[in-house]
Amino acid sequence: MRRADPALWLLRAVVALFILFMLAPILVVVALSFTSAGYVVFPLPGLSLRWFARMLDYAPFLQGLRVSLQVALGATLLSVLLGVPASLALARSHHPAALAAMTFLLSPLSMPMIVFGFAALFFLSRIGLGLSLPALLVAHGCVCLPYVVRVTAAAYRGLPPALEEAAEVLGASRAAVLRHVVLPLLRPAIAAGSLFSFLVSFDNLPLSFFFGSPGTNTLPVVMLSYVEQQFDPAIAAISTAQLAVAVLLLVLADRFYGLGRLVGQEGGG
Amino acid sequence: MALWTRRGLAGATAALGLSALPHRPARAQGKSITVTALGGIWEEAVRTCFAQPYEKATGNRAQVLIGSPTQWLAQIEANPARPPIDALVTIPDLAIAAVQKGLVERFTVEKTPNLVHTPEEFIAPLDGHGVLFDYGVAGFTFHKGRVKQPPKSFAEFVERTAKGEWQASLPGIGYAVTPIMLIWAMAKALGGGVDNVDPFFEAVRKMGRNVSFWNSPNDFENALASGDADIGIYFDGRTWAWSDSGASFAGFLNPSEGGSINAIAIQKPKNASEEAWPYLDIMLSAEAQLAFAKKLNYGVTNRLVVYPPGLAERITPWQQAAFPPYAEIAAKRAAWVDRWNREIRR
Repeated sequence: MRRADPALWLLRAVVALFILFMLAPILVVVALSFTSAGYVVFPLPGLSLRWFARMLDYAPFLQGLRVSLQVALGATLLSVLLGVPASLALARSHHPAALAAMTFLLSPLSMPMIVFGFAALFFLSRIGLGLSLPALLVAHGCVCLPYVVRVTAAAYRGLPPALEEAAEVLGASRAAVLRHVVLPLLRPAIAAGSLFSFLVSFDNLPLSFFFGSPGTNTLPVVMLSYVEQQFDPAIAAISTAQLAVAVLLLVLADRFYGLGRLVGQEGGG
Repeated sequence: MALWTRRGLAGATAALGLSALPHRPARAQGKSITVTALGGIWEEAVRTCFAQPYEKATGNRAQVLIGSPTQWLAQIEANPARPPIDALVTIPDLAIAAVQKGLVERFTVEKTPNLVHTPEEFIAPLDGHGVLFDYGVAGFTFHKGRVKQPPKSFAEFVERTAKGEWQASLPGIGYAVTPIMLIWAMAKALGGGVDNVDPFFEAVRKMGRNVSFWNSPNDFENALASGDADIGIYFDGRTWAWSDSGASFAGFLNPSEGGSINAIAIQKPKNASEEAWPYLDIMLSAEAQLAFAKKLNYGVTNRLVVYPPGLAERITPWQQAAFPPYAEIAAKRAAWVDRWNREIRR
């Protein structure tokens, strides 16, 4: 019988504590959403679904959720349509202009989002987009773009050029190579970038904050305004619902694609 | 099957995404106006007390925009020729900034007849370019079970906190109105004022580790409920709303020197729809303000308002509170923040 390695047990304990440390705040929020109390108190005096009823009763929550889903989908689509071609064009080039363009595309990651949102509000207002859903989509698209570009470009760099050369030698046109060789091989990377984009947009507050209008208020903006005035467990209920959307997405991604492929643990294609 | 479900998923996704496209740029014009509201119960009160009477009286539509004053001021600044907001609610600091930037219009009795029922004290701070229509008073909120005899004055609060009778929790410098509700209010009560806030910093030094700071109202409520704090400086209306929601242990007391008035202003951006004036007039009317006060437990400024029994005991009369010199405080804000960061460092 093998003796237990103390170092291994210590490592396991540290990992378990780390996971608990990361999950505990989320678990507390989920638990609070089921409280029967009228204010935030822990431990729970009783269980109730009243705060989920309140969530459904307060129309701005549901409107905000709908807008958030629309914006996240639209921004993800926009960033894929722009990011994938840009990645294919720039990833393997060593030309200084290509490196500069790639840095430019990734630059929103290095900028505080509140600054980006403030600047985008003035810029998009100046060119006539003002406070509108297209303006919100453009702003979110800019922030989502680096996630698609980064993941797709890295995957494309790792793809042996010989695969494309072989297809061309066998008579495939550039379009056919792209459609039948490159894009299928990049599909896991594009899917992973899209998932990151969606989640980044769905949770975004600093950008959406500046573009709120009666028709374009996203859920995080509504939640912030609500919690500033009324700190009841309804905010925990809507947070739980928001979490459920994210988990559902991951489950769907796993069901239709496999999370292992998304994170690169299994072969793509 | 997998292919079908993938297509189905893609179709549903596309449908949801495409439903986003036909939106027009938000622009308040014609017979529809855009008005602002803070979230939660505030927004519900705005809809019931102001938007619905306005729609009934004019036949126009009032679209309610939820958010925060900082966001709205930025949106108006970005679109001065076509402001996306027609009727603005905001905090005094930002209202003064909007006046100084020339972004808002002057109120007149011709445009808002109910202005005659508003005391000059609530018109003068904005030089008529807006009116303070609602206010809360920042006094002592305490746990009735743990603080049997709450302090009656700021001076007594400081003395007893310094002695360690309780753990106090005060608004921190990260909270927007701390310069008004704490720094100025305590300095004034202890013999200083807007030009001399030394008494406040001296008091904080004296209270030492018996005082902690909160940067969000929710933090204070959590601290009081959990036992991390026994007493603090907080708003009357929020305390009553919290008490009504089940936190019956929470009590409120206005200090004898008078807690500071923390008001909400209403303004009309330049170039916004003229249809906003009847809405703003309704916001100034006694009937609408009384309905608003009943929902939020905050005081209102129309002198014709008579609070019913029960509510009257909760509302702190503005004459018994301290009226902050908002513009002067706004001018000192940066220096006070800097001094806080150097001396208090919490």
